[in-house]
Amino acid sequence: MDDSVQLNEQVDVVVLFRPGRTMCEPVKFRRKNGREVTITEIGLRHPRTNGVRMVHVFDVTDGGADYRLEFDAEQLTWRLTREADKW
Amino acid sequence: MAADTGGGQVVGEYNTAEPLVMHIDLNSCFASIEQQSRPRLRGRPVVIVNRATEHTGIVTASYEAKARGVTALMKLREARKLVPDVVAIESDPAKYRYVYRKLLAIMEDYSAHVTMKSIDEGVIDFKQATEMIQRRGLVEIGHEIKQRLRDEVGVAMRCNVGIAPNRFLAKTAASLHKPDGLDVITHHNIREVLADLVLTDLTGIASRNQARLNAVGIDTPLDFLAADEEVLRRIVFKSVDGTKWHRRLRGWEVDDVASQVGRVGRQYVLERFDLSRDDILRRLHHLCESVGWRMRKQGLAARGVYVYARAESGYWHASRMASLPFFSNEAIYALARELFRGAPERVREIGMHCYELCDDVETQLGLFAEELAHERAVVGATDEINTRFGERTIVSADTIDTGMYISQKIPFGSTRYL
Repeated sequence: MDDSVQLNEQVDVVVLFRPGRTMCEPVKFRRKNGREVTITEIGLRHPRTNGVRMVHVFDVTDGGADYRLEFDAEQLTWRLTREADKW
Repeated sequence: MAADTGGGQVVGEYNTAEPLVMHIDLNSCFASIEQQSRPRLRGRPVVIVNRATEHTGIVTASYEAKARGVTALMKLREARKLVPDVVAIESDPAKYRYVYRKLLAIMEDYSAHVTMKSIDEGVIDFKQATEMIQRRGLVEIGHEIKQRLRDEVGVAMRCNVGIAPNRFLAKTAASLHKPDGLDVITHHNIREVLADLVLTDLTGIASRNQARLNAVGIDTPLDFLAADEEVLRRIVFKSVDGTKWHRRLRGWEVDDVASQVGRVGRQYVLERFDLSRDDILRRLHHLCESVGWRMRKQGLAARGVYVYARAESGYWHASRMASLPFFSNEAIYALARELFRGAPERVREIGMHCYELCDDVETQLGLFAEELAHERAVVGATDEINTRFGERTIVSADTIDTGMYISQKIPFGSTRYL
């Protein structure tokens, strides 16, 4: 079974806005414990709605683990909501 | 045959018109989307399940898993025996809906006549497309759509494209070379294509129809193609279906009909098989709320409720028709609960659907007008809040915690709720 860990951790994110597949590209993020993760690939960006609130979900990887970052378009906050480093 | 030629000529009863129907099928759709979103899954055997338990059924398997014998509907624990390192991922409907919408947007760039057949396949009818589009040729457009899917969704996304004069042959063409194929079927190569298939490769021919065909000596698709229309109509299918098959195989369009919503339903395999009757009823109530919500979003009301259960003793079902249409969750559940009194013990799976659907128009029923108006106002206000803040913001107190067990499922086979 997929061994994902569900999280709800506010993170600091460096983002590039530029034309392309996702338009908004998280490049790296820093976790609460100070660890920095450099993103090597954005797998998919998809929108999800919480009622009328739009959240953009980014499934990304640093090559060693998969992460899910969620950007709340109303509150302008980034959260790390999933981490998976084994199956 | 007095056939609508649709621009084609009748040569030996085959439709010789230019193939202008394109069928697009995403390969191992949900597994591919997961492999796209999580690059470390690429190249691995992946299966998508609806629940993180070993006895759950597999919804989709990746090509890597299929190559090792895993199929959809197989139990996860059986798949593990075949492929011990299989990675099971719980389904993520929001993600699949996003890819569905991207695919639909790409397809709609080429024609106004796009029909999605399910969440992972659709048809583009180019017969009324602009001359500029038609002049480019469907093969070139097919390759372009494949490339756009990779550019706009991701590099792991692949699709099969089938091109033919009608929907049936286009779908057949899309299944010839998986994954990532592009094939064209016309009256020129139909025999060569059918020679490599078996009857059950044809959409619509499963074991029962195969047996009917075998009974009159039709053992291969080529035999089927050669069969006389009257034999198919009077002996094999005993209905106009025989005529339709005769035309379908020759490239004439008989499947361009809009399907109507016949029923709305949901089912649920219990998370444990030792739940009390009250717990099972609460889950049934949750299903009724889900079905009521979906029905009302379509502007529909129902007159009938059907409830079933799978138990150790076998399949049980009951149904009832009401004299007037109903639309509220409570009305649906009241009928379902009443019916469920007759359900057997040791239930493993429950399900229900509403049928005899009709447009939910406000009726002026003198005797019940006040009660109905009150019910409609409460339901309307609840639905409005749920639309604004999320589907299960307001639910019955009875089902307040059932959502942790019954999560949203992938609407496979229908695109009505996407």
